[in-house]
Order: sequence, then C-alpha cells, then structure tokens
Amino acid sequence: MSAPSVAVSVEGLTKTFGSIRALDGVSLTVGTGEIYGLLGPNGAGKTTLIRSLVGLITADTGTVTVLGRRLPDRAVLAEVGYMPQSPALYADLTVEENVNFFAAVHDLDRPSAARSTADALELVDLSPRRRSVVATLSGGMRQRVSLACALVHRPRLLLLDEPTVGVDPQLRAELWRQFTTMSGEGTTIIVSSHVMDEAERCGRLGLVRFGRMLAEGTSAELRRLAGVERLEDAFLVLSESRS
Amino acid sequence: MSGRRAGAISLRILQQFRHDRRTLMLLFGAPIILLGLFYFLTGGGSSLPAVDVVNLDRGSLGAVLAADLGQSTEIDVARTTEARAASDLSADAVAAYVVLPADLSARAQSGDVIAPAVHLEGTQPALTQPVLLALDQSVTRASRNLAAAEGVRVPVLEPSLDYLHGGPGLDTLDYFGGAFIGLVVFLLVFVVTIIAFLRERSQGTLERLMASPLRRADIVVGYIGGFMVVATVQAVEVVVFTLYALHVHNQGDVALIVLLTLLLTLVAVNLGIFLSMFATTEFQAVQFIPLAIVPQVLLSGIVFPVATEPGWLQVVSRLLPLTYGVDGLRDVMLKGNGLTSGPLLLDIAVVLAFAVALIAAATATLRRSAS
Repeated sequence: MSAPSVAVSVEGLTKTFGSIRALDGVSLTVGTGEIYGLLGPNGAGKTTLIRSLVGLITADTGTVTVLGRRLPDRAVLAEVGYMPQSPALYADLTVEENVNFFAAVHDLDRPSAARSTADALELVDLSPRRRSVVATLSGGMRQRVSLACALVHRPRLLLLDEPTVGVDPQLRAELWRQFTTMSGEGTTIIVSSHVMDEAERCGRLGLVRFGRMLAEGTSAELRRLAGVERLEDAFLVLSESRS
Repeated sequence: MSGRRAGAISLRILQQFRHDRRTLMLLFGAPIILLGLFYFLTGGGSSLPAVDVVNLDRGSLGAVLAADLGQSTEIDVARTTEARAASDLSADAVAAYVVLPADLSARAQSGDVIAPAVHLEGTQPALTQPVLLALDQSVTRASRNLAAAEGVRVPVLEPSLDYLHGGPGLDTLDYFGGAFIGLVVFLLVFVVTIIAFLRERSQGTLERLMASPLRRADIVVGYIGGFMVVATVQAVEVVVFTLYALHVHNQGDVALIVLLTLLLTLVAVNLGIFLSMFATTEFQAVQFIPLAIVPQVLLSGIVFPVATEPGWLQVVSRLLPLTYGVDGLRDVMLKGNGLTSGPLLLDIAVVLAFAVALIAAATATLRRSAS
C-alpha cells in the first residue's frame, strides 16, 4: 500500500513486444491532484506506459500501483478514466448515447449517469450536438466525445493519451482550464503530449524516450537542467545527451 | 485509359494478396476442401443407407432376390425378422425395411404383379430413392437368373410403400423447411455477431471496456442479452412465416421449434464472438463465412443425410452444432416428437452443451491485457 498522497507508483516497468523494447525499466511516482505530463516522440513508450496503468498491458517485470491498489485489480478501474489515443467510440450511436454508455459501464446508476453525461458534455462544449450520431462529427469533435467518455464517472485518476489532437486552440485552452480545476479538486491527471505549450501547463513532466525515463521535473527545472530558455530546446538537448 | 495507371492498381492488388496469407489460403485451399467434401458427400467412398430385408417367400425367388440385394451398390442390406426390422426402423437404425411376401415366387411364376412391402422412415428423401432403385435392379437381375432354370418371367414390380413419418403427401419444401429454419437463423446471427464484435475490437471500444471495471463475463452475457432480444423476434418471425405463409408441414409443437431455433442462435452468437478473435478486419471476418459455414451446411445433414457420409465425415458431422439443431427440428416437424422423445431431448441437450462450451470459449478469448 502506498500513502494516500501518492496516486500512481510505477517501479522498474519493462515490456517487450517481439524484438522491440517498449518499456525499459520505467519508474514513476505521481502525487494526488498532480497534473503529470509525459513528453516524448512517437514510439517513445508513452502509450505503452499509459496502457499499463489501466491493466491493458501486463509488464514483463516491475510493478504498478494505482490509487493504493497493486495491479492487476479490476475494482480500482471504476475510479480511473482512460482516454485512448484514437477516439474509440461507437460511431453509430449518438454523442449522448456513447457518453451515457461509458457512465453505466463505470457503475453509475441511471439518474446519475444522465446527470453526469449532461455535465461531461457541457465540459467538452458538445451539449448542442448531443443528439448527433458520432459518425457525422469532425475529428476534433470525436476527440471531445472521447474525453467526455473518459471523465463522465468523475474518476480520481484520469489518463489522457494525447487528448487535444485535432482540437482547436480555443477549446484546447478551455479544456486545460478544466483539467487545472479538476486537479485542484483532487483529481490526478496523467497526460501524454508532444505539444510544448501543453507541457508548460503540467505541474511536472517526464521525458520518455526509447522506453526510458530520461529526465523528470517541472518545466523550469528541465530548462535549467538543459541550460536553455525554451522547453522545446530542453527536450531536444536532454534527449540527445541522455540517450 | 492509361496502361501504367491501371497496371499500378493491378500490382498493388497483388502486393496486398502477398501480405494477406489468409486470403490466399482461402482462395487456393477452400476450393479443394469444398469440392472434396462434395465428392465424399455425393458418393465417392460414402456409406450406403442401411436397409433390413425380411424374406417370407415360400418359393425360391425371395432368397435369390434377398441375396442380390445384399450385393447392391445402393444400399447396405441386413437380413432379419419382421419384428426386428420394425424396431430398427423406429429406432432410426435403418432407412427402410423390405418385406418379401410369402406369395412372391408364386405370383412371379404366374406372371402377376409382385408387391414387396417397403417400409420407409420417410423424413429424408435422399434415403428413400436408393432403396427403391436397388429393389428395382435386384428384381430384374434375380428374375432373369431364375428365368432359364425355373421359367420365371421378369415380373412387374409394384412395391407397396409405407411411410413411418411424412409420406407421399410431403413435398421438398416440407422435408427441408425445418432444416432451413435452423440454417437461416444460425447463419444470419453468426454473421451479424462476428461483424459487430469485430467492430468492437477494431474501433478500440473493446479496449476501452477492458480498461473499465467490467468483467469478461459481463461483456459476453451483455452481448448474448442484446442479440437474443433481436434473435427471439427473428426466430418467431421465421417460424411463423415458414409455418403459416409457406405452409410447411409441421407435426410438432411450435414452441419447441422456437426453442430449438433460439438455442441455435445462442450457439451462433458465441461462435461469432469466439471466431472474431481470429480475424483482425471485417474482410477477414467475411472470409469465415465460407470456411465456417459452408462445411456446416454440407455436413449437418440438411441435404446429404449424415448416415450416408463416409465414416470419418460422420465423425466431423457429429462435432457440428448445426447437425443436432437440424435433427431436432426434423424430429419435431416431421415426426411430431415432443419432450418425451429421447432423441429430441438428446439433440436439445447437445445444442445446449455447445452453447455453454462456446460461451466459455468466447469469455476466455477476451483477454484483459495484451500479451
């Protein structure tokens, strides 16, 4: 058991797919209410790491503890929200039906599912489109529906795999304001991204490359460590020097 | 038209085939398998319908005729008593029994019509024809052999036919109606489920469900629940249409027909979930139709009776759920069997066992984590 102030604790996680080493001894500790950003290029292992936090991947070695429960643990998933990289939705259902379904799957009863669905759609600014069939929506809108599905049950831990791809800057800013509010209310958020202005908004960042955690810290700490002004440059410098 | 552009498309298609071994196996393997099945089902090395012969003839023709029937290439003959033959027929152990009457030789000698009694099981036309053909051939041969020696002329054969079930009042539709109810429902539900479940996999929602507190059993039971609602409506529609619009002969309880149809649907839903595991695209799922369905159609006794298949194919037939469903539907509709009938209860039990086994298999294929 971890102390309650720790939401996620990963130790020495290794995962190999065939000859590809996706995770190579990753360790990570995220405190309750933190917004933790995973930065790294495509194929760095960010998605594999996030998927192992919801038990979709069983690591070869290492341990994952989520909200005080050592995985695999099905029950703890009721308090975790997971938004996959591609918007995994039922294209033939309406926006509302999709979100409502994921509310019910996470054990919400019918009235609270309806209420939470309305709130979640408000949050992602899709209330007017709630009766639209998902297949008719643009990519950015689907991304927002997918986000609503991940947070409709008000999870204590929210895992977002590149949540703002295809979302316009205005809405992206609005979503990040919401993430900050949620984190202020005690929700822990782990978000992967390769957009640097998003990274600036994270409390702490982890630089992932070749399945390893290259560096960890606040944006300021990482920039100081690399001796550069901009986070993007820090990312490049640290990637080069440590891999 | 540009040769180069069209050529690019042709080349691309060949490249796609090269990457899709499964489709190549289907294109080059399935015809051999399916044509091979046809060969074995339509006679090549197949088993003959079993027929009992009872010789009561006081003269010599009966014995010669019975011996000739024993050489027949159409039927597999055993000689026995009338009581034994009758019980074989009702136990489904033989397709028919032939009684050669006491006055057979006498009538043949006096140039009368001879009338052996042919007692047919009657529910499978494919088993009836060989019996009559064999009898006709043997009468001709046997009486020719005796012609020189004993002055027997080739008599006119008019067998008196007696049907245990069904009979001359039934037409082709009546014989196949029951089997086709099972087939149509099984096929459609299987195709719909495998596509629906594959979409769940390919669009990523299954992964989302796996990242939720749902148990694997919740997913399988949920699928069964949803599909069975639609399948029940479909089963009732198909049965009502078959019986009351097409007027297919039915001697049994309509509720039993619906029950058997629903059990087959239950098997089809879980077979669909289970097999979706082995497909990664809807295209590959569609390929399961010829591979999983056509052999079932050929081997489940719908057109070709299981009893006349070669022995090893009968074993395969006995491993297919549709065989028992079709047999059960025929038991109800053609024989009028109810829940007191042992064979029907066995059919129902076996289909149910298949359903349970496939539910377990479908649940087992839903692994939470990628290995």
